[in-house]
Amino acid sequence: MLLDITSLTKNFGGLVAVNQFCMSVSEGQIVGLIGPNGAGKTTVFNLITGVIRPTSGKVEFDGKDVTGKRPHTLASYGIGRTFQLTPLFTEFTTLENVVASYYLHPRSSFWGAFFNTPTYRHNEAFALEQSLKILDLVGLSKVKDELARNLPHGYQKMLGIARALAVQPRLLMLDEPLGGMNMDEIAFTMDVMAKVRRQGMTILVIEHNMQILDLCDHVVAINFGQKIGEGTVEEVRNNPDVIKAYLGEQNVA
Amino acid sequence: MPIGSSPKQRKRITSIVFYATIIIFLALLPQLGLPVYPMHTLIGVFIWIIVASSLRLLDLSGQGSIGHAAFMAIGAYTSGILAKFLGWSPWITMPIGVLATGVIAFLVAIPFTRVRGIYFTMVSLFFGIGVLAVNQVFSKFTGGYSGIGSIPMLFGYNKTPYYYFCLALLVICLSIIYRMEHSRIGLTWKAVAQSHAVASSIGINEAWQRILCLGVSCCIAGIAGVAYAHYYSLLTQETFSFNTSINVFVYMTVGGPRYFAGPILGTAALILIPEQLRSLREYVPFIFAGILLIVLFLMPQGLAGLPDQFRQRFARSPKVKSLPAEEGVSKRAP
Repeated sequence: MLLDITSLTKNFGGLVAVNQFCMSVSEGQIVGLIGPNGAGKTTVFNLITGVIRPTSGKVEFDGKDVTGKRPHTLASYGIGRTFQLTPLFTEFTTLENVVASYYLHPRSSFWGAFFNTPTYRHNEAFALEQSLKILDLVGLSKVKDELARNLPHGYQKMLGIARALAVQPRLLMLDEPLGGMNMDEIAFTMDVMAKVRRQGMTILVIEHNMQILDLCDHVVAINFGQKIGEGTVEEVRNNPDVIKAYLGEQNVA
Repeated sequence: MPIGSSPKQRKRITSIVFYATIIIFLALLPQLGLPVYPMHTLIGVFIWIIVASSLRLLDLSGQGSIGHAAFMAIGAYTSGILAKFLGWSPWITMPIGVLATGVIAFLVAIPFTRVRGIYFTMVSLFFGIGVLAVNQVFSKFTGGYSGIGSIPMLFGYNKTPYYYFCLALLVICLSIIYRMEHSRIGLTWKAVAQSHAVASSIGINEAWQRILCLGVSCCIAGIAGVAYAHYYSLLTQETFSFNTSINVFVYMTVGGPRYFAGPILGTAALILIPEQLRSLREYVPFIFAGILLIVLFLMPQGLAGLPDQFRQRFARSPKVKSLPAEEGVSKRAP
């Protein structure tokens, strides 16, 4: 198991946002975390990536206990993530966004950068070359010199994925990558996800758009902070609890 | 890739040539018979440019400070007191002063970086006031309000060596700042300034980066402080008061915090213009405020941003082309 979550709980005051949540992601899979609005999906994400600390429970990444570690540490372990909102460095160009994200691999030392050592120059050249490759992969090459804040929404979302890829993650966590996209953009994004998976990356994706299910090997459904169903796409689609959460009571028949 | 091949590199080379010309011109000025008083003014301008530029370096990481003069004060008082009361040579006490500034900056940065944005600015203000209070408490050494005078000078009463010394310090400090800004160090700090959440998601320890930025920036302010102490040879409460911090902030803002040249232009303009109007001395604060208002309303990007502002205004097509809809992400990847 690449990622293993056991009985994760988070209370915000009296509100139990996530309750005894368990799930695991094995290497090479695309796992979907689905649920209606306010179900606690993003909270689970933030608990995994260390943005907030869990009240109780355990997160294991690659066999290491990473519960409550800070976000930059988790990034260095190999978790890359995107954000639902403001996913970018808005004042940087598209290319700069990705180049800046090449912070960990290769890692340049402060003095190396200051004195412009050959190692540093080599690292920077490598980062630039790889960034261009990533932009090619996500189809942003033609807007590489635009300021990120001037990009259309779909491009910004893709740039978020490009940035997360620059961390060279083993686990890529996407927070609603399809949010606010039109049909064409959705098709394109799912294409990119499939391509990334073929390169051997594991993906954990949050969505409430059910189209994402086409890609997933394994789906976990969550509502009111609790797991309500888990299994293959077919199993979850036919799970009465999931249908109830999405469509309401009287449609269960 | 051969040097000067990309537009970015060409731009960088142009600006280096530009700055080199100015430095050579300034270095030749005393040889061309610069009178004593203008030389004195220019030395002041050099020192304050260092402070304003160090403030801008801090601003790169998204931390606006209105207590920066306090860090300058730490350097100046440390070096001044050691040189005066222990009789050490200024050449020894000056590095100690800079080091002391750096150490204190790192220590206070650790709690400071828990707050961001406007809250950091408020904390920096309180730090500035706190340093003045410390100055009062230890008035036996610092002289309190009246300050300490007759601090050992570096080169005696001839101003020319000071001129070259401060010019050299200026060039060194600005080179350090320029190099940091145009390397990954600056890129990382700018990233932290834009979004700490995104920055930490790509592995940047954003708290540490902001501590580092504050430390470096304050060391540079400390350099200006020690130069000040051993040139003017007099330090008073007034020298590093809240007013001074605000002045430095205004120098940077008027010049344009987004541009490397910003604090340089702003400091030069706001020291040299009032200097020309010495007959109207009482009105200088008003003139200062007037300049600030004009700049804020008419040139939001500051003096250094004027060329860009004009270019944008008179550009035929808008700078950022909107992307045609069918060219959107909709096209399948090749």
